[in-house]
Amino acid sequence: MSETFEALAGALTAEYAAIWAYGPIGVRLSDAERKAAVAAEAAHRARRDALVMQLSTAGGTVPPDRAGYALPFPVTDRASALRLAVQVEERTAAFWRAALPVSTGADRDRALAALVEYAVRATRWRRSAGITPLTVPFPGRPA
Amino acid sequence: MVLTCPVAMGITTRQDGSSELSRRAVLRAGALLALGGATAPLTGCGLLDRDEQPPRPDPLAPLLEESLRLAGGLRAAATVHPDLATRLLPLAESHEAHAAELARLTGVTIASATPAASPSGPLPADRTAALAALRKSERAGRESAIRACADAPAERAALLGSVAAARATHLEALR
Repeated sequence: MSETFEALAGALTAEYAAIWAYGPIGVRLSDAERKAAVAAEAAHRARRDALVMQLSTAGGTVPPDRAGYALPFPVTDRASALRLAVQVEERTAAFWRAALPVSTGADRDRALAALVEYAVRATRWRRSAGITPLTVPFPGRPA
Repeated sequence: MVLTCPVAMGITTRQDGSSELSRRAVLRAGALLALGGATAPLTGCGLLDRDEQPPRPDPLAPLLEESLRLAGGLRAAATVHPDLATRLLPLAESHEAHAAELARLTGVTIASATPAASPSGPLPADRTAALAALRKSERAGRESAIRACADAPAERAALLGSVAAARATHLEALR
């Protein structure tokens, strides 16, 4: 199994979890925020679909989705939902960042686009949550 | 599972940030890029030095300079608009952290000397115009970091990806 395949399979598992997490997140948000959550979830779904297609074509074992994912903390209100949204975007961004060194060409471009997009979404969620600063110096870098 | 686990696959370029503080202090004074040897005195060299080519600057040198320039622009704007300082200074610090990492990666030293990192052009006195000018710079910076990441060898790709993403988030934070 190539390093690229492994990295993209990792990104796929992150996308599955992100899509799942937006379920409990969405129901706790205000209307405007819910719209943003729907858009964010759609982005994760689009990348999931593209990854499933790409990895299937590559001929390896595509990691399956799970019935559920453990949340890092209970989502009970708007504040915890926003906090989880920040974390979902940051962690998914980290998986795409990990794909950068092991990819080239169009794969590299796609991984970078995902990293950039999710980092920006994390910043937007921080703003909604009133978290400062709005940004981190190295988006996607493991803490 | 992913949500509760540390990102195991991302341990590609874990960088030691221990030197960031001192570097930042240096950077804050206004910084000058000293390319190792490239700008060193070539005068008075002996016969054997004649054929030596000056070392070629690293392809990331412009990106490093841009980080310092962006930081300088944000700090200058924070001075003119103190009410924006809490928004602008964390962004400046991010650029300076990028500069320190890029310097480490490319083997150059960032020396404090003349304020070479000062932004180009006059600073807008109007708050809205100042933010618009900063956004324009960050947008250009994001694009150059994206290009640099696309062209980079594997060992540089992750850091450059983070630089591109950070610049994109700055653009968002300046809205």
